[in-house]
Amino acid sequence: MSNAAVNSPSLGSELARFLKFLLQELKPRGKWLTPFNIISIPTILLGLVILYFRFTQGLGAVTNLSQQFPWGFWIGFDVITGVALAGGAYVICFVVVVMRIEKYHSILRVTVLNGFLAYLFYSGALLLDLGRPWHIANPIIGNSFGYNSVMFLVAWHFFVYTFALFLEFSPAIAEWAHFDKLRKILSKLTLATVILGFTISMLHQSGLGALFLMAKPKLHPLWYSEYLPLLFFTSSIYAGLSMIIFEGTISHHVFKDLIGEKTHHAHDQIVLGLAKGAAVTMFVYYFFQAFILLHDGERWKLVTGFWGFWFLLEIIGFVLVPCFMFAYGVRHKRLGVVKVAAIVTVLGVILNRLNVTLIAFNWYAVDRYYPSWQEIVVTLMVVFIEVWVFRWFVTRMPVFSRK
Amino acid sequence: MEYYSYVNIFEQKGVAYILLLSFLVLAVLLIRYLSGSGDKKTARKEGADS
Repeated sequence: MSNAAVNSPSLGSELARFLKFLLQELKPRGKWLTPFNIISIPTILLGLVILYFRFTQGLGAVTNLSQQFPWGFWIGFDVITGVALAGGAYVICFVVVVMRIEKYHSILRVTVLNGFLAYLFYSGALLLDLGRPWHIANPIIGNSFGYNSVMFLVAWHFFVYTFALFLEFSPAIAEWAHFDKLRKILSKLTLATVILGFTISMLHQSGLGALFLMAKPKLHPLWYSEYLPLLFFTSSIYAGLSMIIFEGTISHHVFKDLIGEKTHHAHDQIVLGLAKGAAVTMFVYYFFQAFILLHDGERWKLVTGFWGFWFLLEIIGFVLVPCFMFAYGVRHKRLGVVKVAAIVTVLGVILNRLNVTLIAFNWYAVDRYYPSWQEIVVTLMVVFIEVWVFRWFVTRMPVFSRK
Repeated sequence: MEYYSYVNIFEQKGVAYILLLSFLVLAVLLIRYLSGSGDKKTARKEGADS
């Protein structure tokens, strides 16, 4: 037997070491009584109680969903909005890994982790909304592919993209678990998974918009357009970039001890670079909307009354205004303006997705849909659990650059 | 009776061209604005320092 074989640990001993290490890492660290914990723990517990009633007594017991409004807050906010706001992962991966712009390398892992958790939890929230959640596997296992539906594309893309994001993040997990050989192998897969992930993201971000193409009679004509897929894709780029600015700002305050000094100082330049990208994309999106409004000769006549005001508020107040704010902030290096613009943009994307899925959907209906308090608590529960998992990852794994 | 209505592209072409041209011109201006070095005073100062 060679010396190498004697010295290298067996698979069994490696697994035993890893399990012991994992149990150690699962133990809570830090203070328990923090403002975030005080708010999030009761909300999560209450959400779990509501979910018990949802799964034992059905959707009607806890939601305001009906035959007329089969898609409510869980789909409109958790899935459609959550996925748009997670768009930063594919943009940053493309910029760093494919275009080789190293300036953004320090935020790559944290952005991928955010994207992975967002897809896991927000697209996972789809399970709560399905009347028969076990049928979610049908498009994947072929029990009923349903390949004539956009849902088929979205289901497969969510599944494959979440796995691709996990693969992109996996070198950090291997590094944390001291699996050096595995880390080297996984790192080599990065480029291929990023290219696959970027392609898939483009398709399913637009696919979410395509879901509403068949709802032409139900969606208000100011929001309905055959270009909805293009609008969803374009807005996901600046939604993702704004979310990175927003989350990055919070992370740099909360986890400042985990971030190296050089990275901490470089963050301002990164924020300005992201803001530049957001400004250009928002400018393009704004003109797409203008072209669409003009394309159908009669459409601009609808810009009147409440719905006209609501549409202009979304397009001017939450797209054009933050676009100018980003541009001004970049030009004059005003980080405060950029951060406010990022918050306004995130709110604008939430408003746009809720307009398409809930507010301007069945706009003529006498009995409107309003989410029940249980739906809101469960949504908050999903967000809080995601933050808890994110916090666990970043305090244990090499997510932030220590340089 | 069912009938179809078509969009008269000739009626709208002029406005569409104006919008497209304004987009292209404004896009160039925006990129130039974003690539600028910020306040003129700051830029001059930075230039003098270097």
